[in-house]
Amino acid sequence: MAQATATVTRKPGGNKPKETSGMGRALVRRETISGYLFLLPSLIFFIGFVVVPMGICVVYSFLDYGMAGVEGFAGLDNYLRMLSDKTFHKGFINTVLIVVVAVPTVTAFSLWVSSAIYQMSAFTRSFFRCVFYLPVVTGTVAVTVVWKWMFNPYNGLLNQLTGNVGFDWLGNPNTAIWCIIMILFTTSIGQPIVLYVAALGNVDNSIIEAAQVDGATKLQVFWKIKWPAIMPTTLYILVITTINSFQCFALIQLLTSGGPFFSTTTIMYQIFDTVYKYNDFGYANAMGVVLAIIIAIFSAIQFKLAKTE
Amino acid sequence: MKKFLALTLSASMALSLAACTGGNTGSSTSGSTTSSSATSSSTSSTSGTGTTLKLWSFNVGTLNEKANWDSLIAKFNETNPDIKVEVEIITYADGDTSLSSAIPAGSGPDILFEGPERLVGNYGRAGLMVDLSDLWAEGGADIAEGIKSVSQLDGKYYMYPLSVAAHCMAINYEVFEQAGALQYIDQETRTWTTDNFVKAMEAVRDSGLVATPGIVYCGAQGGDQGTRALVNNLYSDYFVNDDGTSYNANSANNVKALTLLDEMVGNGSLSANAGFAAAEELQAFANGTCAVTFCWNYSNYTQYAAQTQFTPYAVAFPSDDGQPELEMAGPYGFGIFDNGDDAKIEAAKKFVKFVCDDVTAGTEAVKYTGFFPVHSDWGDIYADAEDADVRAPFAMMSNYLGRYYNLTGGWTEQRALWWNMLAEILVGGADPQTAADSYVEQVNANIA
Repeated sequence: MAQATATVTRKPGGNKPKETSGMGRALVRRETISGYLFLLPSLIFFIGFVVVPMGICVVYSFLDYGMAGVEGFAGLDNYLRMLSDKTFHKGFINTVLIVVVAVPTVTAFSLWVSSAIYQMSAFTRSFFRCVFYLPVVTGTVAVTVVWKWMFNPYNGLLNQLTGNVGFDWLGNPNTAIWCIIMILFTTSIGQPIVLYVAALGNVDNSIIEAAQVDGATKLQVFWKIKWPAIMPTTLYILVITTINSFQCFALIQLLTSGGPFFSTTTIMYQIFDTVYKYNDFGYANAMGVVLAIIIAIFSAIQFKLAKTE
Repeated sequence: MKKFLALTLSASMALSLAACTGGNTGSSTSGSTTSSSATSSSTSSTSGTGTTLKLWSFNVGTLNEKANWDSLIAKFNETNPDIKVEVEIITYADGDTSLSSAIPAGSGPDILFEGPERLVGNYGRAGLMVDLSDLWAEGGADIAEGIKSVSQLDGKYYMYPLSVAAHCMAINYEVFEQAGALQYIDQETRTWTTDNFVKAMEAVRDSGLVATPGIVYCGAQGGDQGTRALVNNLYSDYFVNDDGTSYNANSANNVKALTLLDEMVGNGSLSANAGFAAAEELQAFANGTCAVTFCWNYSNYTQYAAQTQFTPYAVAFPSDDGQPELEMAGPYGFGIFDNGDDAKIEAAKKFVKFVCDDVTAGTEAVKYTGFFPVHSDWGDIYADAEDADVRAPFAMMSNYLGRYYNLTGGWTEQRALWWNMLAEILVGGADPQTAADSYVEQVNANIA
């Protein structure tokens, strides 16, 4: 590599190497340019498909924008409308409920399963990883079709087994949201389990053995050694699961369409409904902005609690 | 700094997803302020003397098959070789999503085949459609006044119709026969009274031949005309008041109907499922899980009849006086989007006129829809058909056609809230009058 030929010295007390020759500076510049060139494709993609749509989303949120085009500047009207929109309030509560229930249970269950399987033989470990990852790679539509059949009030497996024929799990406002959370749970645990198995496998065994020699209990080993070691993975899982839970949409669209009585309507679903049913693009974008802010706040809380600093 | 970056990335992920939701809808229309500009960048082309038109069709009858459209287009091209028509079939499940994305982005259709609810109520009202008064003046003389009235808004005609039918319901003939419930239906007129409907459903319930006699579906995915017609017919009322200024679900008769349905759900002669959309109820009917469906017409017959192992027997909705008023299935016809290109609009009108007014092509097109021609001069086009006996009951239902409400303001909003009101009463146990009052108050807010 070019680095091997660069002449560098370390400044006393400083951390950064300082180039001492013109050739070194040229090499660094060349490497920097190369680095940016390698970054360019993904940067273009990121700007084109993330940054620009974000900007458009924010701009549209201040417009009165419907099927006939932009009809004027709405100012803060779209945002103020959320304050009096009962469906939005219901959607917000449901969204928070899904996040508050799904995120801890997914994380805790994944950690529990991973702790149980990460020391097993490679074959057994792979088997369990496959089993738990299967719902992730299975299409959402296929998953929901199977669940819908299981929940069918008249012919569904669940009611046939429990002898509760006629009970409408997805049509009852008290059970529908919990059905959604349960299905979301089954489709969300695959990735965390794979990540936790890898993270737990990377914890230094010599430290664990030393602690055990010193008389540490299993709980102490987990809490004092493994838990801090897997904290970055936990934080990543928390953030990703939170975002996925906030953005839970396909399950709701395919299973309940937000009903009954808006009991499974989430902010994400309402955004879809507002765009495609009511063609109210300005309001939908305003809700998108608010959803992003809410997710950022939740992420901040998670970072704070995890004490990443 | 790291924390800030992480938070920014989290927010970016969420915001970009939200933006993607509406991103399709707006990528090419920023700054557009008029309806014509919203569709002016349509990708259909006019080159030399040739014109290419984009036709989007909802999946009505067998017009969900491109080959059938191709047959019509081939006939049209015999006399209009310079006009090329490209067809895209969209479904009721996702067609609105496709249109909502494509129209503001300028990639929508030039011609849309559907009914007044979308052509007139949605896109005509939004100022996106061409006035088709000239087509009506030339060929609309033998089209019924009711169809004419729902094809226009404020004096401008945004739809030119092809076919029409009536929505009705159907029973499992064999189950009704075995349960002794056929006696409650006038098989000659295919009508029944509300009292007889109650008795019939109780007989079916008591027979234990099906898991549930009937399902009042309250899921929000189409088919609402069935539950609407059921409620309105039970005690002969209307969905909207006479002058169209207010929704009418909280009238004494409609509340009486809702109360009756609630009682029937309570005693097991009906079920109410908020988790069921019309498609699921139809499937349950086809499977023999329930003995009636409230969402029947010839199109559904062609879709589900092959799956049934019984005779699906079309009947009108029950009414207290035995005189049902059914909702129109359709009328289905064409609307033309105002893309600002006069040549294309003229070409589109030629095509619409050919399909709707030419007796040969029109008859073929009507048969593809499975419904009946709007042109009364065409007579009974199915008289010599092999399945004339199957179609006859649906033709009979056309005699019971009632008022068309679907152009009332706030229609889209009321559809969503209608399901909620039904579920509140039939599943949640809410007081019918209170729930209906609340529904009417909410939907009337959008009626203007």
